[in-house]
Amino acid sequence: MNKTQIKEKTGQTIFTVAAIICVIAVAAIFVFMLIKSIPAFNKIGLFDFIFGETWAPDRLDNYETSNLSGSYGILKMIVGTLATTVGALLIGGTLGYFTAVFLAFYCPKKLKKIFSSMVNLLAGIPSVVYGFFGIVFLLPLLANFAPNDGSGLLATSLILGIMIMPTVVSLSKTSLEAVPRSYYEGALALGSTHSQAVFGTVTKAAKSGVTASLVLGIGRALGETMAVVMVAGNSVAYPESLFNSFRVLTANIVLEMGYAGEVQQGALVATGVILLVFVLIVNLVFGAISKKAIKGAVEGKSIFSKIFKRNEKTKKTTFWTKCKDKISGFKYKIKTPNIGAGAAICAGVFAGITLLLVIGFIFAKGAPHLFSNPHLLFGEYEFSSKKITILPSIITTLMTVGLSLLISVPIGLCTAIFLNEYAKKNNIFIKIIRGAIDLLNGVPSIVYGLFGMITFVALIGGKSSILAGTLTISIMLLPTIVRSTEESLKSVQDGLREGSFALGAGKMRTIFKIVLPSALPGIMSAIILSMGRVIAESAPFVYTMGSVISATPTGYLDGNATLAVALYQLAGEGWYVNEAYATAVVLIIIVLGLNLLAQLIAGKLNKKLQGDK
Amino acid sequence: MKNITQANEYGGSISVKNANLWYGDFQALKDISVEIPEKQVTAFIGPSGCGKSTFLKCFNRMNDLVDGCKIEGEFYVGGTNIYGKIDVNELRKNVGMVFQKPNPFPMSVYDNIAYGPRTFGIRKHADLDEIVEKSLRQAAMWDELKDRLNKSALGLSGGQQQRLCIARSLAANPKILLMDEPTSALDPISTGKIEELMEELKKDITIVIVTHNMQQATRIADKTAFFLLGELVEFGNTDDIFTSPKDERTERYITGRFG
Repeated sequence: MNKTQIKEKTGQTIFTVAAIICVIAVAAIFVFMLIKSIPAFNKIGLFDFIFGETWAPDRLDNYETSNLSGSYGILKMIVGTLATTVGALLIGGTLGYFTAVFLAFYCPKKLKKIFSSMVNLLAGIPSVVYGFFGIVFLLPLLANFAPNDGSGLLATSLILGIMIMPTVVSLSKTSLEAVPRSYYEGALALGSTHSQAVFGTVTKAAKSGVTASLVLGIGRALGETMAVVMVAGNSVAYPESLFNSFRVLTANIVLEMGYAGEVQQGALVATGVILLVFVLIVNLVFGAISKKAIKGAVEGKSIFSKIFKRNEKTKKTTFWTKCKDKISGFKYKIKTPNIGAGAAICAGVFAGITLLLVIGFIFAKGAPHLFSNPHLLFGEYEFSSKKITILPSIITTLMTVGLSLLISVPIGLCTAIFLNEYAKKNNIFIKIIRGAIDLLNGVPSIVYGLFGMITFVALIGGKSSILAGTLTISIMLLPTIVRSTEESLKSVQDGLREGSFALGAGKMRTIFKIVLPSALPGIMSAIILSMGRVIAESAPFVYTMGSVISATPTGYLDGNATLAVALYQLAGEGWYVNEAYATAVVLIIIVLGLNLLAQLIAGKLNKKLQGDK
Repeated sequence: MKNITQANEYGGSISVKNANLWYGDFQALKDISVEIPEKQVTAFIGPSGCGKSTFLKCFNRMNDLVDGCKIEGEFYVGGTNIYGKIDVNELRKNVGMVFQKPNPFPMSVYDNIAYGPRTFGIRKHADLDEIVEKSLRQAAMWDELKDRLNKSALGLSGGQQQRLCIARSLAANPKILLMDEPTSALDPISTGKIEELMEELKKDITIVIVTHNMQQATRIADKTAFFLLGELVEFGNTDDIFTSPKDERTERYITGRFG
């Protein structure tokens, strides 16, 4: 073997190993979750666990004793999760859909760019900030006409609705814009108005894409933890009205994991398993719909219309046909496209106002405090009822960001290279890797937290540490990095690769000299957005890294709260409201700054690549 | 320059015996045998999907990149069996290729041309400068581009980009240049320049060109091969093919009755 051949072999081996690591990570999550939950399922009984109405754990219960003294039924929380998901979908889905229509067809061209990046910013705001906004703005507002403090189904649905909106908007917008322009022009040529053309042809053709975006929104709502915990009230109860304290599955885990007994811990991991099952179902549906969406955009059909058709053929009055009658009846009502147009414009404006409100409110309250209290940012560590400092949290956050990127970027990048540059399409191994990465992408962040707690924390001395938290978030970042890198690699024209090969360059040289430089803008913005994600996440850290704001860490084996976790703590304790506002301001500034930076870098590099004419 | 020429072990002629090629279950080439002489221009003509591009890509093994592609038969380039135990990269260095769509790399004009030589270990500035100038002169672009060597190649016009790609191939000092419809995306003036260039280049190297344009074939090609549905129908001197074709199908094609 000559030097080049050795290089090629080494490269290929490294890329393959990275891909295998991804698969192992997924397998490990599922295996550990099962190992930890199966005894609990056995002890409690699957039926009693899922359909039991009482959740009253006893810390002393263990697997040796013959009878459990506590009760472990999660039905109320399952109902809570489903109810708030439906609520969030109604609010966020409707708002998101119409905002997407607005952006695609009604927004003035000059505003479009600003608006689109505003929606992206909404997606970047940490969930603890949404939760905090819920506590300090939404709950007091709702309390005016609620029998309680405002917490409950309405509050969670509103907050979650706003949170899933950006997801719905961006995906719906993409599929609306993917509809061939000729549909719209064809409708205009037949004498339709702009609105008639939009709502009569384009939105119909984009139906499956929009449905897919809603399903993705559902996935996000199911898995969200912190924001819901902060406004749901969290009593173990059914959400009987819009305003009563209730609990969701994710909240159950994050609230009780810290002090759980043996069986209780098993039951909480089992809660995570149930959550995973929900998310997997949603992912499967999403996968099926997205596949159809590609066809649907051409044929103008959606998966549901096919289901309806099948039912019509058998001429049974089923639930579906009834639904269809209802839906088509509803369609007639909004057939006047002007109402749709109005809704689209309202939704767009509302989305803008929401962002300004969330950011404006927190800035107005927090900025003065941040600037008048330098001790908060730069002071010596102190944590008393009078004075606190968030400097240690900022340092902790930076340490986490740095190391997690060092771990996940190389692995993610190499996996993406393997998938896009080496893999043969129909290889079974590739299908496994792709499936694994899709699975990883859907796993709720609290489940990562659980996994980190039962593996990394246990491995690293049984004590939460920055290292354990960092390893946890590194796995969590993998799917995003792999996917977005793969997207940017895909967008590099094959002609460039062919050109390089035709000059006698090997694979490694082609990848490193031609493909990666061309894909750099996409990869850079993926990395920056991953930074934002580490900073914004909190659920994976609470039990892996610790949630106590402590002195500045001396190394990776210390535990501490990241900035987002610190905000969660400060907001929950009620002592440090001003400090919480200030922390939220810092968080927003960092995350928004990173978001803008990502857009800027992508734009700059793209320009450079397009050549200086 | 010496480094590159030394490594050259391939000659300029191509000889193929009983070539068959499948994409999955689809047979794209059927039992093709042909002798392509060196230092001449040979044109492959035929309707879309007849296999001419596929056949061309066998000569530098670009078909290796296609999933599910199976090749049988004997391919000799300059006397070497190219589907035997050879270094594919070495082969591609000696058999250059220009594609239908110009594909300059997103880097400077200079770096584009130096890409090939650098791949094979030439690092000295003086050597690279010499190669870049020689290649650009060979492609008749030196005067056009000498002042903008450090500008991005993507800023050039389509015709310039394509000639740059030719220069880029020449930098590796190939014995054979494969051209896959190199002018189909270009305007008539750029096309003319490339045809002139080919006339000049064939003094030193063998050129095989796939073209849809029969006038182009008559203008530039010494030999012409007519392909239909994966078969080589007729191969001979261009004049003979176009004035007195032996096969009825060739005649119908060149008189414009199908394709």
